[in-house]
Order: sequence, then structure tokens, then C-alpha cells
Amino acid sequence: MGAGPAIGHRHLGLFLVAPALATVLILFVYPLCYSLVTAFVAKEGGFTFGNFLRAFEFYSVDIAFTLVIIGISTVLIGLCSVAIGGYLTLGENPRAVAILKWLYRWPLFIPFIVAAQCMRTFLAKNGLMNNTFVSLGLVDPINTISLLDWRGIIITFVWKQLPFVALLVAGAMASLDRSTIESARNLGAGRLRILVEIVVPQVQQTLMVGLILSFVTMMSVLSVPIMVSGGSPTMITVDMAFRINSYGDYGTANALGFISYALTGFAAWIYLKRGVSQGGKP
Amino acid sequence: MKRKLWLLAATAVAALTLGAVPAAAQKVTLNVVTAGDQNMVDYVKDYLAPMFEKDNPNVTVKAVGTGPGDAGSQKIAEKLTAQKSNNAWDVDVAVVHQKMAGDMVKEGLLASYVREVSTGALSTAASAKNALGANVDGFVIPMFQSQTAIAYNPALVKDPPKTFAELEAWAKANPKKFGHNGIKGGMSGISFVVGWIYANGGGDADRLMKGPYDPALQNTWDAAFARLKEFNKNVTITPGNAGTLDMLNRGEIVMGPVWVDMFYTWMADGKLPPTMKLNLIGPGMPGQPMYYVIPAKAANMAAAKKFVELATSPKVQADGIVKKFNWYPGIDAQHVKAQLDDATWNKLFVDVTPQDLAAKGKTFPIKQYFDDILQGYEKKVAN
Repeated sequence: MGAGPAIGHRHLGLFLVAPALATVLILFVYPLCYSLVTAFVAKEGGFTFGNFLRAFEFYSVDIAFTLVIIGISTVLIGLCSVAIGGYLTLGENPRAVAILKWLYRWPLFIPFIVAAQCMRTFLAKNGLMNNTFVSLGLVDPINTISLLDWRGIIITFVWKQLPFVALLVAGAMASLDRSTIESARNLGAGRLRILVEIVVPQVQQTLMVGLILSFVTMMSVLSVPIMVSGGSPTMITVDMAFRINSYGDYGTANALGFISYALTGFAAWIYLKRGVSQGGKP
Repeated sequence: MKRKLWLLAATAVAALTLGAVPAAAQKVTLNVVTAGDQNMVDYVKDYLAPMFEKDNPNVTVKAVGTGPGDAGSQKIAEKLTAQKSNNAWDVDVAVVHQKMAGDMVKEGLLASYVREVSTGALSTAASAKNALGANVDGFVIPMFQSQTAIAYNPALVKDPPKTFAELEAWAKANPKKFGHNGIKGGMSGISFVVGWIYANGGGDADRLMKGPYDPALQNTWDAAFARLKEFNKNVTITPGNAGTLDMLNRGEIVMGPVWVDMFYTWMADGKLPPTMKLNLIGPGMPGQPMYYVIPAKAANMAAAKKFVELATSPKVQADGIVKKFNWYPGIDAQHVKAQLDDATWNKLFVDVTPQDLAAKGKTFPIKQYFDDILQGYEKKVAN
């Protein structure tokens, strides 16, 4: 009789977790495994590396391009989020701090596709940005350039992902022990030096987590490259969509997917490794 | 107590059967699924559906769009394949692109309905029987024909190039002033690339359109692709069909390939200056129809046939397809022309004359060559 309720509880526990578990298994684990496996299956069936060969033969430039774009974006997001977080923590003009605090989160609430659509009209050769510059007399209409290429993708990514990382970083900075900052200041350190040598090392962990999550998010975005740049080279998400839509070729698309899993997996590995080295705290 | 329960159950069953049967007989939801841009959904939802529902009060038309380009058709094919073993499929009428239509016929997804509808005989064009090399006779009725051409701004281009060769020279002299959208952003760019291969491929363009297929032929296009890669350095790559029109409108490019119907619709909406002009360059650029098809096991076959009958009637083709949406009619022109005044009819042919269309309006290549061209572009021009 004593074991009864314990087993009952265990069963109840399983029962309660079942819907969530089933959702994860059916909607995530199964498709993931399926796409990983089909990356190695030829169109006629049977094991092959052909999909990967084709992926590299056709899209090697795009794979490199994807890494470069997302790499640059991640670095820029890191720098800007430290700058924003730093000013929020160390800024001396309360009004400027308040305005910045109010402003910087806005892009968080705007979906990627909307951001991409805005950038299309903002960054174009005769778009809003250049027209503003022209009317301010800063540039001649002849000399304006369109940023609707890889630069546009980076600008959109940074604009969209920056608030997310900045939010994490600023939160971490706000919860720092102020005494370290104050003592550095007492010893005569400038604000930039305090930021770089005192504050950033202490929030490094949070910054890293934010950047890795951004990296993974940006890897998966289809709308921005398709809408902003369109030209080649482009990002591999566009190639995946094209492979399926134009040729019904899931094999090569899945091979490209496999490559992007590998890239994000690498980022996740760094993330976990750091977690372990910090005593299992992710 | 027991009796009460029994009574309750009996009433429930009776209610269910009585309720369900007449409902099925009375109310029908006709699912019309269209590939293509938003304008296709608008056409069904705002134009065809109200008309059809008025004549058939027991039918509600539900319009669903699956997205532009071959991707949209691919989704419809996948949806039908997924329910292949079911007895009734939930797509009653579909509108698909040429490339997918052949595959769908081959896989037995479509009903051979054309001879069973009264308007079936009105469309005798080659494209009503043959879709990029696949025999689709009896399975499709063209909804409309569309054509790509080069749009240009006559204020800035006094003497527009008349052939691909002239365009190549023009782009060199006017760097970045010509724009196309490559092959990943919509069919107008694809059409340009296909036209380029027709012009510069070195082989017989007719063979690409009619077959037979020879996998070795793609090796003869290397020089054309190399030239296209060179050409692309002097042009602007735009983000999509709408992207090209956007850039034309903002004056960032002065020339680019567009769909004729989109061009006129944008102009009518005030999104393009009315001075813009079209030019169908030689030796020719492709156009394509979209097809009305009925899935083999459509749940509401009878209503579906009636719907297509309405949609392909001369009146609707004249009023909806030509007048409202600026497409070329899907059924033969003589049936439609009678329904329209000359001014409306001629509006379609201001820049691109019927003679131009006859001489330079090409079809897309048969599916295998088509895929070879796209893959060749990806491999040799884009990568």
C-alpha cells in the first residue's frame, strides 16, 4: 500500500508531462531527425553524399557569405549592445539615459518581415534615408548609393537583434555591484576604461549568451535576405527555399539545412562549454 | 432514470442525423486554392466569389492563396499528394503554374474535366494542351495568359534596345541602369534569364520549348552563362518582381523585365508613372498561362465544374481578366473581344502589339531544360 501513492505520483507526473513531451517529439525531434536523415538520401532512394556535393558545388559562395554576414552582424550587435548598456549604467545625463532606455527596445516588438519591408524603402538608392541626406545637402542625388545588398541585411539584422542583446546586457550591468565601478572612478579611471576593464568582463557571460542566441536566430531568417537583397550571393535560407520551391529537391535543401545545423551546433557547443566551465550554469 | 437516459440518447442521435444530412445537402464550401501573387486571391475573393455565390446561394467560396511563383503550385501539389489515399480532397478548384501542371497530371492528381464543362471548347491555344512538354489535354483550362517584356522610362531611354544583343551593349554603356531580379525573386527575372539563353544559347531555341530532351544540350550554354555573368556586373539585381517595378518607379533603374499585367496594374494604381513603356525585345521573351484545374477527388466536383465554367465564360474573361486585371485572356481571343469595346481591348496592346506577341512571345522551355537553365544559372552565374 505504501508504494501505491508513489507510483501513482510518478504516473501522474508522466501523464502531465506527456502533452509537452509529445509536442516536442512530434513537432521538433521527428522533423529534425527526418531532415537530417533525408540529407543523405538520394532522390531515387539509397544512401548518398550527392546532396552535399551539390550543396557545395552550387552554394559554396552563399555558405561563406552567410557566415560572413552573420559574423559581422554578431560582432556589431556585441559592440553596440555594450555601448548602449554601458551608457545606461555609466551615463551621467539622466535625461539622455531615460530617452535611450525608452527608445532602444522598440525594434524588439517588430517582426523580421516588417523590419525588412521598412528597410526596403528606407535604404534604397532613392529611399527615405538618402532623400533625407540629399535634402539636408549632405550628398548629391547622383552620388547616393543603394544599401539594399549584403549591407542592408547586416543593418536589418543589427537593428532587429540589438535590443534583445542590449536588454540582457543592460540588465546584467544594472545588477553589478556598483562599488567596483565607484572605486575605479575614485582611482581616476575614465568611463570608457571602466566599461572595458571593469564592467564588460563581469557581464561577459550574459553578453555571450545573448550573442549566441542572436546568431542562431539570424541563421534561420528567410524574409530579410529575400526581401532586402534578392541578388546573389545570398544567404542559405534563400537557397533552401528555392531548392524546394523550384525543383522540389528536398535532398539538397536538407543538406543545406544540415550545414546550417552544423554551424549553429558549433555556436551552441561554445555556449554549453562555457556553461560547463562555469559549473553547469548555462 | 434509465429510460430517461435512453430517450436522451435517442433524441441526440435523431438530432445529429436530421441535422447533418440536410446541412450537407444545402451548404457547400467550395475551396478555391490559387498559386500566385495576392492579386490572384483578390481576383477570386472579390470578383469571382460574389458572382458565383449569387447564382448558387447554397455555395460559399473560400479563396486561399499559396504564394507566388512555382513555390505556390508546389504547395498545392504537396497538399493533394498528402491526401491521395483519402476519398474526398479538400481542394475543389486550384489555379496552378505550367511547370507543376504536367507533374500533377502525371501523378494522377487532376480530373479530366475539360470536356465536361461547356466552356471547355473555347480554349484552343497550344498551351491548353501542352504544358512545358507535358501533355495536359483535357485537364486544364487557361485562366489567363501573361507575358514578360522590358519596361523602360522613355524620358531617359530615347532609343530602347530591341534585342538582347543591343541590350547587352546598352547595359555596358549605362552601368547599373538596367535591373532584373535573378532567378530567386520571381518569374520576371527567370523569364529574362530564359530569354537570354534563347538568344545566346547557340542552339535552337525551339528545341528548348518543344523537346525532345537531351541532357548534353546544357553544355552548349557555357558561353552564354559567362556572358550573362559579365552582363550582371553592369546591372542592378533587384529584390523580386515588385522590387523591379519599385526601383523603376523611384528612378533607380530605367529599364527592367516585368510582367505585362503587373506593369499595367501598378500603373493603374498610380504606383508607376503613366509615361513608362513596354518593349518586347527579340528574339523573344517567355510568358505563361495559369491553369484552372480540378483535383481528381475534389469533394464538390459538381460545384467545382460550375465554378470553372463561370470563370472561363467569355463575359468573365472579358470583364475580370482583361478589363480589371490586365491579363491576356485564357480562352481564345475572338470569344472575348466580342464582349469588349475596342478601347479596352486595345489598351492591352498599346506597347506590345499582337504582331510582337506572335513573333516574340515565347513559352518557357520544357521542364527538364527549364531546370537545367536554372541550375546552370545558379552554378555558373550566381556562384
